[in-house]
Amino acid sequence: MPITSAPPEAAVLPRRNRKAQRGEARAGVLFALPWIIGMTLFVAIPLVVTFYIAQTKFQIIGAPKWVGMQNYEALWSDPAFWKSAQNTLIFAAISVPVKLIIALGLALLLNRATALSGFYRTVFYLPFLMPAVAGSVVFMLLLTPNAGPVNIALEAMGLNPPDWLLDPKAALWTLILLSLWPLGVETLVFLGGLQNIPKDVSEAADLDSPKRWHKLVWITLPLITPMVLFNLVIGIIYSFQVFTQAIVIGGTTGTPAEATLMYMVVLYRAAFRYFNMGLAAAMATVLFVVVLILTLLIFKTARSWVHYEGGET
Amino acid sequence: MSRQRKATPSARIGMLTYHALMLAISAVFLLPFYWMTISAFKTNAEIFSNPVTWLPDPIRWENMTSLLTREDFPFVQQFVNSVFYAGTVAVLVCLSCSLAAYSFGCLRWRGRNLVFGLTVCALLMPTIVTFLPIYLAWSKIGLTGTYWPLITPFLFGDAFFIFMLRQFFMGVPRELLDAARLDGASEFRIWWQIVMPQLRTPLIIVGLFATVYTWNEFFLPLIYLQDREAFPLSVGLFTFQSQRAVEWSVSMMGAFLTALPMVALFLLTQRLFQRGLSSTGLK
Amino acid sequence: MSNTTFAVPRQISRRGFLASSAALGTAMVLPSGAFAQAEGQLLLWLPGGSELFCKIHTGLLEGFSAGASLGAATTVCGLGQDTEFTQSLIGAITAGNPPDISMLWDSPVSLGAQGAFMPLDDMMKGSKIPLETWPAGLLSSCQFKGVTYGLPITAGVYSMWYNEEMFEAKGIPSDRGSFPKTWDEMRKMSKEFTVWDGDKLVSAGFMPNRVPETMAIWSALNGGMMFDETNLKYQIDSEQNIEMMTFFLEWLDEEYKGDFNLVDRSGNFLDGYPNSTTGMGPAFREGRQAGMQSGSWLLGDIFADPVPSFERWNLAANPVGASGSSSVSGTWPNWFVIPVGSKNPQAAFDYLSYLAIEGSVQWYQQIPDVPTNSQVQRKAPAGLVEKRGQAVADDITAFLGEQAAVVTPMWNSPVQSFYTDQIARAVEKIYTKASPVKDALGEAQAATQAELERVLAG
Repeated sequence: MPITSAPPEAAVLPRRNRKAQRGEARAGVLFALPWIIGMTLFVAIPLVVTFYIAQTKFQIIGAPKWVGMQNYEALWSDPAFWKSAQNTLIFAAISVPVKLIIALGLALLLNRATALSGFYRTVFYLPFLMPAVAGSVVFMLLLTPNAGPVNIALEAMGLNPPDWLLDPKAALWTLILLSLWPLGVETLVFLGGLQNIPKDVSEAADLDSPKRWHKLVWITLPLITPMVLFNLVIGIIYSFQVFTQAIVIGGTTGTPAEATLMYMVVLYRAAFRYFNMGLAAAMATVLFVVVLILTLLIFKTARSWVHYEGGET
Repeated sequence: MSRQRKATPSARIGMLTYHALMLAISAVFLLPFYWMTISAFKTNAEIFSNPVTWLPDPIRWENMTSLLTREDFPFVQQFVNSVFYAGTVAVLVCLSCSLAAYSFGCLRWRGRNLVFGLTVCALLMPTIVTFLPIYLAWSKIGLTGTYWPLITPFLFGDAFFIFMLRQFFMGVPRELLDAARLDGASEFRIWWQIVMPQLRTPLIIVGLFATVYTWNEFFLPLIYLQDREAFPLSVGLFTFQSQRAVEWSVSMMGAFLTALPMVALFLLTQRLFQRGLSSTGLK
Repeated sequence: MSNTTFAVPRQISRRGFLASSAALGTAMVLPSGAFAQAEGQLLLWLPGGSELFCKIHTGLLEGFSAGASLGAATTVCGLGQDTEFTQSLIGAITAGNPPDISMLWDSPVSLGAQGAFMPLDDMMKGSKIPLETWPAGLLSSCQFKGVTYGLPITAGVYSMWYNEEMFEAKGIPSDRGSFPKTWDEMRKMSKEFTVWDGDKLVSAGFMPNRVPETMAIWSALNGGMMFDETNLKYQIDSEQNIEMMTFFLEWLDEEYKGDFNLVDRSGNFLDGYPNSTTGMGPAFREGRQAGMQSGSWLLGDIFADPVPSFERWNLAANPVGASGSSSVSGTWPNWFVIPVGSKNPQAAFDYLSYLAIEGSVQWYQQIPDVPTNSQVQRKAPAGLVEKRGQAVADDITAFLGEQAAVVTPMWNSPVQSFYTDQIARAVEKIYTKASPVKDALGEAQAATQAELERVLAG
């Protein structure tokens, strides 16, 4: 695993005396201390408090009151919880893999030196620099039914375009489509991986002959599985937390017809619109558990498909 | 490289096809940018004109001046706030995260792998899971409405950037550190005078990343700040857009001017940026 | 990656690095100190934030402060208008640094009942604005269990707006007295105006209501209610409400192809403003919609925005449903509250008294939100007089005054936002045929009642 591949902890270093080792160990703790404090203050303690708030009735103002599992029971029977969980899962399940595939395709296309390579890389990267609010607003304009340029163009081509963000059946898919736009980071991570592959192998990544396809699937792809793992884990975690686009486009009710109602929006709404901190904390806890399980599952299966040495499947 | 190889006709056609494809994909990617830019220089009616106008005619520069002077969207103030917010976080991240990264990447101590493992857990933890108690604590000590809740955590470090920087710190040759230790240098001096100067480029990369992330951060400033004059642009744009939704050209000009500094920063430092990405915690 | 040598494009000296961090560190203190509020000066928060709106309120507060020899007053606007605003306000209240006064665009009852706002009853006794000077239906939007948490200083009053020119072109009498008195009459007349060209709605008459906030008015027009405040019971799925939604749905099917999506693709037939997501102009003002329900705020905006508009519109009372007996009106008030932790509560209350009487008159002159206190002598807004003449302006002002007196109680629940969201959801489900009327309303009823009981439980 790349994550733990630092030099060994108390490695056998022949000619170093114990005093120096102790000094280094002390320095190690000291240097890490601010971060250890930070993790305790901003991650560990809040995490425990979140578990606690999830078991209370807490309306922001006033004191929390212990109610046991009531908030979880309320979640279980809350249609908004299920609807938003469903939307978010669909969003993540489609957006993440499709984004990875497109990013990988773009990285393969980018992985050759031409006069315009720098330009292409820049273009693919630019969307990442756009604030999500600005990006969402621009897409709302582009996709305006009737008057937006996309629909005007599609209608001119004789097609019958959907109403995009205004159509309850199309809105979630449009949101997924929008999420595919900023894929520069993923593309460049893949590209970094491809460029680390030895030259003789990487030339196989040309897309012309069947033989090269064969090499792509059996040689190149396995070599960049670590990047796939990285992009996959980060992608899933981020897509579970999609918020900005959803609230700009769908507000707190996920218009139209709850089609864009995302988990984070429901959580935000519970906390700051209904002042139901207990329920919000319960939702945060559920999200924590789901992400934990998913990440563990991915890392567990990763052993069988992620390659660190390269070679066969 | 094979670039200088004499191109056969079929290779030339292949190259043309390749560029045609890439340019087409680029056009799709650039469309929103382009649309934002031209809309920023149109009137509302022109934005929604049918047939579509692909070039603003005339270019309405007055949109820019009117945005910069209007009272209900203190753009200049919010711009300054964004610069302050992103700049402070970037500097803090470079300092605090490099401390931890040095410890994880260059020093050996008992418990290091455990603490680093916890760091990875923190990295994978959704922000919202820990958010509510932190929010309540900040409001209990009366600091909501200020930048403290947004900036203080970075005094201690940030899991993602520690993770990223550690890769670079691991690349510092062990011999270099040992030599310095033999000379009697303290660990702090080694970190500050030997390692940090060596890693200037990665630090700049991390600083740039932190700048972009913070510039575009939306959720936390939305929740913590309580004054239009205090908002960074990301939130200012949202509140303006949600209240004055009909003034599309102003919104678009705001969006354009918000994105512009990051695009400029990126273009100026492209090479570094891409190096930072290709090494995001992998290998 | 491990043996990369790092090309350094430009030297950044450590000293420069330190100096810039120090500078940024100092700068960090500045924004955090920016909100220090001196004693004896008033701090006012406003939702929304159009330039005109902020300017009027800044002017009013400064004028008052100067007269009351208070220090320089501060007005904060542009914090957002919906959840963003509420959430900022709660943040400030829990942090103990709230504004002295805040305007709200959502009922003060929810947060008041949680203890976020000061009860005003004691201060109102013996003041210039005692309880009995407020219309009861309106004041109930600020009261819960007999405690008053805010004041509805002005209000947008909902009534029917119609296009006299369109009426006359069809030979229909256009005076207010002849406007349809019942839903059936309205629906019948509506057909006269509705023209489809394929799937495009060219022009329309009236439309079934789909604004969640005003559903309580339509319910009252049909003799029902959404929330029974005395018994703390929601009645979302009452017979009257089921009848109402069934009527609306049948109307939609009969006249508008059962699909609001088609309607929305053809223009903005929802309100008198350009649509915020599609940019489409308001059909009513374009002369493509004979009538609609709207709040009185449109009185100002109909002249202000650069949307071409016809000349002669008029206002009429809301028609009555089959089970209803008399016309009622509804409002969307501009509430004012004094948050708990206000540093100058008495001065804040004095400002509210000023605003309720003198201030609201000036306010109405510039933005036509109707002053609600019974002592106010309403004068027609100058802008309206200028555009439509003194007689029409006086007539409309008088009409709105009458309407403000027959307001049905709404905005009176401690779970108002939850209720509004549930209604929005149910209405959308009904109109998109995702669920039958009875089920959709039943679901909203069950959820809202449960939330109410949860909040009220000790």
